[in-house]
Amino acid sequence: MNHQEYWNPVLETMPLEKLKLLQFKKFKRILNWAYTHSKFHKALYDTAGLTPDDICSLDDIKKVPKVEKSMMRGIQNKDPFPYGDALCVPLEEVSIFRQTSGTTGQPVYQPDTWQDWEWWSECWSFALWAQGYRPNDRVFLPFGYNIFVAFWAGHYAAEKLGCEVVPGGVLDTQSRILKIQELNATAMMATPTYVLRMADVAKNKMGIDPSSLSINKITCAGEPGAGIPSTKKRMEDAWGAKVYDHSGATEIGAWSYECSKQPCGMHVNEAMFLVEIEDIKTGEIIEEPGRKGKMIITALDRMAQPCIRFDSKDVIEWDPQPCSCGRSFRLIRGGVIGRADDITKVKGVLLSPAAIEEVVRSIDGLGDEFEVIVDKQGDVDRIKLKVELMPEVTRLSIENVLKDQLRLKTNLGYQIEYYDYGSLPRYEVKAKRFKDLRKKIFKEKECRP
Amino acid sequence: MKNFSNLSVVNDKILKIKQLLTELEAEAEQFPALSRNSKRALASIKMLELNISDIVALE
Repeated sequence: MNHQEYWNPVLETMPLEKLKLLQFKKFKRILNWAYTHSKFHKALYDTAGLTPDDICSLDDIKKVPKVEKSMMRGIQNKDPFPYGDALCVPLEEVSIFRQTSGTTGQPVYQPDTWQDWEWWSECWSFALWAQGYRPNDRVFLPFGYNIFVAFWAGHYAAEKLGCEVVPGGVLDTQSRILKIQELNATAMMATPTYVLRMADVAKNKMGIDPSSLSINKITCAGEPGAGIPSTKKRMEDAWGAKVYDHSGATEIGAWSYECSKQPCGMHVNEAMFLVEIEDIKTGEIIEEPGRKGKMIITALDRMAQPCIRFDSKDVIEWDPQPCSCGRSFRLIRGGVIGRADDITKVKGVLLSPAAIEEVVRSIDGLGDEFEVIVDKQGDVDRIKLKVELMPEVTRLSIENVLKDQLRLKTNLGYQIEYYDYGSLPRYEVKAKRFKDLRKKIFKEKECRP
Repeated sequence: MKNFSNLSVVNDKILKIKQLLTELEAEAEQFPALSRNSKRALASIKMLELNISDIVALE
């Protein structure tokens, strides 16, 4: 075993049974902390007739009430301003404010102490080290440094590893590419949408082949693209670099990462997080690999505003195979497959937007951008797919393979619209490519007198 | 560190540093540069505890 491969060679190769014992002890610790320091958590557990002493085994953990994002929004209306009564430390101990992007509703505010912030970057350190970041790397961060957590902790983790960090905050895309070129940056962190966008701008607006630049590894987060094989391939081909998936969330922390073996999945950092997978229909906890469900997650060491049995809505499944990297942290197959509230029924068939992305990005003659609009024609669902043809590619050469692949991968027929390359909207951070107008139509009908 | 078998020795050192920093922080109320830097260092020490002391506590 080469210990240099691991950030923490003891934790990352710990036998699963021992790891579970560690998780249980840490779960008890954070539960007790929240119960004794947060009015919200005490009331939540009192209402359920539960105290920390009632949790005597890992199996008992499912008795602990889950926390939903909507509950966090309600908490924020209470004192102390602006976080509310889930706060476990005096307000003066809070050193950093962050908030969620508000993609699924009113943003949630997240307080962190300095220790929590150390913990955030510690979790990212596990990821970056596993992806081959080392002190000789010069890491370029092309994101807006602001109230969203985004790659902030990636920045501090890279510093902790000893890398040289270049904060490419308030620069436009072309300036960022020139700075990467000027400084011979070796690594980068960005959303998949922006990684492709940068490659597009470099190639088509600046005449720079991104694979000629010195970037040799890219860490993606914020969207599932690096876990979608065809999107990952596009990014790797464009940049001539290894692309690694990583997943985290403002309310949770940086909980999973792909390692340098690229096992078509991500390791859950089981030393820092307890991940449970819940059957979406029955609520039963899924122990065995190969069954999809939504993730219920506990951050075992986050103190200011604990994250205990948080219903993340991320859809994941355990991989039955261990990773060849030697880590005992289990893999989730294909990373985050989707979100429980994104997977929607169209014409009676379950549709995941990621499945459409996988098809579009697998066809060479199509551009990176696309848009999916679901609406109703009368009482019948209709899916419109807008795609871009690359220059000198004809619709005829694409049409059949696109229709066939969509039918094969999603079991649905589409109304496909073809656009010239560069016509569809471009996104700088997270993309909004899936629009379900049926919800709007339904709401409008409901509002009519 | 070449040998991972003796984590308890490493843990003893971590706890000693923690003890010293805790004392420094407590004694330095009127000396912000000392108290705040000690507090910040304690946050880093906590990461050593998560990486090492929690493992030792399992034994």
